[in-house]
Amino acid sequence: MSVFDASMEPMVEMFIYETTTLLEQLDEILIDSEKAQNMTTDNINEIFRIMHTIKGSSAMMGLSSMSELAHHTEDMFFIVREDPSKMHGSLSGTIFDLLFQSSDFFKAEVEAIQENSEEYQPSDASDLTAMIADVIPQLKGLAPVKAPVIKPVAAKESTTAAAPSAPSAPAPQAVKPQDPQGETHAVRVFFEDGCQMENIRAFMLLTQLKDYCDEITSEPENPENNSACSSEIIKNGLLVRFKTSLPLEQISSIIENSVNIKSYEYEGSQSNSTASADAAAAAPHTQVVTDVQSAPVADLTESAPEAAPQEAAAQTARQGTKQSLISVNQIKLDQLMDVMGEIVIAESMVANNPELRNLHLDNFYKSTRQLRKLTDQLQDIVMSIRMVPLSGVFQKMNRIVRDMNKKLGKDVVLNTVGGETEVDKTINDVLADPFMHMIRNAMDHAIESPQDRVAAGKPAEGIITLSAQNVGGEIVITIADDGRGLDRSKILEKAKKNGLLNKPEKDYTEKEIFQLIMLPGFSTNEVATEFSGRGVGMDVVRKNIEKVNGVISIDSKKGVGTTFTVKIPLTLAIVDGMEVAVNNETFTIPITSIRQTFKLSSEIDLLTDTEGTEMVMLRGICFPVIRLHKIYNIDTSVTALEEGIFILVESDSKSACLFVDQLMGEQQVVVKPFPAFLNRYSIKGNGLAGCTIMGDGSISLILDVNNLLNNF
Amino acid sequence: MSDNATVTTVSALGNDLAGKYLTFYIGNCTYGVELVHVIEIIGIQDATSVPGVPAYIKGIINLRGRIVPVIDVRLKIGEEEKAYDERTCIIVINWQESLVGLIVDSVSEVIDFSADQLSALPEFSNVNTKKYLSSVCKTGNRLVLNLDCEKFLTDDTVSELHG
Repeated sequence: MSVFDASMEPMVEMFIYETTTLLEQLDEILIDSEKAQNMTTDNINEIFRIMHTIKGSSAMMGLSSMSELAHHTEDMFFIVREDPSKMHGSLSGTIFDLLFQSSDFFKAEVEAIQENSEEYQPSDASDLTAMIADVIPQLKGLAPVKAPVIKPVAAKESTTAAAPSAPSAPAPQAVKPQDPQGETHAVRVFFEDGCQMENIRAFMLLTQLKDYCDEITSEPENPENNSACSSEIIKNGLLVRFKTSLPLEQISSIIENSVNIKSYEYEGSQSNSTASADAAAAAPHTQVVTDVQSAPVADLTESAPEAAPQEAAAQTARQGTKQSLISVNQIKLDQLMDVMGEIVIAESMVANNPELRNLHLDNFYKSTRQLRKLTDQLQDIVMSIRMVPLSGVFQKMNRIVRDMNKKLGKDVVLNTVGGETEVDKTINDVLADPFMHMIRNAMDHAIESPQDRVAAGKPAEGIITLSAQNVGGEIVITIADDGRGLDRSKILEKAKKNGLLNKPEKDYTEKEIFQLIMLPGFSTNEVATEFSGRGVGMDVVRKNIEKVNGVISIDSKKGVGTTFTVKIPLTLAIVDGMEVAVNNETFTIPITSIRQTFKLSSEIDLLTDTEGTEMVMLRGICFPVIRLHKIYNIDTSVTALEEGIFILVESDSKSACLFVDQLMGEQQVVVKPFPAFLNRYSIKGNGLAGCTIMGDGSISLILDVNNLLNNF
Repeated sequence: MSDNATVTTVSALGNDLAGKYLTFYIGNCTYGVELVHVIEIIGIQDATSVPGVPAYIKGIINLRGRIVPVIDVRLKIGEEEKAYDERTCIIVINWQESLVGLIVDSVSEVIDFSADQLSALPEFSNVNTKKYLSSVCKTGNRLVLNLDCEKFLTDDTVSELHG
């Protein structure tokens, strides 16, 4: 029996997405804060908000263990928020640990739901909840004398353990504090479009408000009993009338912090006992806050030209980036790409229509140029949509390093470089797992304990460097540690024991020996630990990387460290390419491998060696000439070296001049792999990395300069 | 450039595709391919040739952003190459989750074959063509040779004799 009833099904996906996003934010904040040994007010508020949202949404989904835990964490942060200095106190370590554990618990739950929402059963979080409950009184005990007014509220919070908590950030609008009691305020709340079950959401909001307000009435009344009033709520919003002794800002921030609220409107107050001037002033004061979440973005754009206070700007910017992301089904992106291709083809069919030939249509061509410009722009955007930075994957590694540091008693710092390098979403998804394995291996096996490190004359602090860059159209990612390095003799011994050797021991080169560790069933650590060492690690890593056509190589020096280099060929990545033409065919050469282009002139010597290999002499260096038309068997009229153009290209170790008919121009292209059907032919061996679709819908082949120079 | 207006999305015709065959001509012979595999039929378009592949693979085409390899069925079954004309079509079929285009002389029609109409290959048929066929079928006065997509696409050797 499923935990979720059928009517909830459509919400499950949204819940998963929403919660996952929040948890990612949470982890980021936690890692940063722990590193800085400090938590800014912003971060505290942010964590508070995250917990609040998780509590609300999981309660709505009927996941009591999650909402309980979120509730307790929120309680804990309620105290911290009142007095941020507690984050520096003796309890800070405990708080961070609890937060990380809670975040893990949520993640595990969400993953379980994601895997199979039909059979999902909530796990028990009572241990964690109890631990947090233990910390709360300790935290309170540490409370300094200040802020006495607020303390009772905090106390009430944690003891009643049912009330949601108060505001996280000061309300942005300037609703004046009202004289308490006697006044009935009216607020009209609108829920997000399509958030579903509006009546239940309305009920939740009312329940939340009940703890702070007296005499709550709503229109429609008792929404929870009648799902039919959902449509009314969608249309007219939910009108809440209440009396409160708390300042109005606090109420409005409660509303703001509730889930799925699109906007709310303060409709004024009616005083029925004392008609104070204050109330009169406030009555016509109708506050409309549209789209609570994205309001700060608007703020930012308006205030940007002025020298707004930097801190405020930074905060709005942060909120802005967070809220301007939406999730899109990948299938839709694929479809968008397909349609884009059609548009480009259709556009060139219109503009180059043979029936228009010999006609003078100035205005028509002006319009088609405009259209061309727009489709080009559109294509650029569509293609860049699929690219995501690697920083997300890197972020996850931070977390692993942190956890393992705690558990293994090691002191390792993870440096990440080049997190902004963009790769296609599919590649990005595949990379997280292998990296996790490699980092774990490095932490567990490679880096010595602090004592051993000091004994070996190294700093006690180990360093793992994770870097990514776009080199020659390849994404090169290195994972380097400064640990003990790979022990060649040990690897050989182990491989021999496991029957992995297929030639005499002494015939193995260093590289080959290192490659052995990536064979299935190999693990050098004698004792398998919690984190690694089951002998499945490295071969899984290799398989995963090969899945995206990548290669992995290992470099290691005993006592100095090990470097894993992962090269992912340009598949699906965007590269800057030079388009060259040979007869009717176009080829794309990655700009990064081009050194120079030139035409043959009298100053350049042309040589031919005894085997007939043509060479050109440039600045005293001889470069072999590779005629593209020759190696790819293309019939072209440009065969005289004087007529065509040379492109000096360079790979890791070699250089050569490619001879082509002409240059077509520079263009950014998205690399597409060759169809799987062609995989059994040695296209890669022929120096081709993939293909790309040009603006006019034709296909250009992308040269793989490394392979090309090695094979011709 | 393909005439996209003539694109027929055959797979949209109905769910019950079993037993239906799309027939096409190569020279005077009629061949059939199971309709379940067929995605669409498009006009002939210029393919970008790819080095290092057998001659019968004409290259790759761009089908709405997807890169599709195209095979000249004529060359694959050992017929002589023939210049493409306005009747030449590419039948796009779905094979192992990816698309492959088959260049044929012209497309004929969709025929519904009942199981008893299909017969095993006669002994005397040409050995080289035969290895790509799953069954033959007689309809009216024509003999339809049904291609076995699996064999046709995975076998790399080109028949040397004419079918």
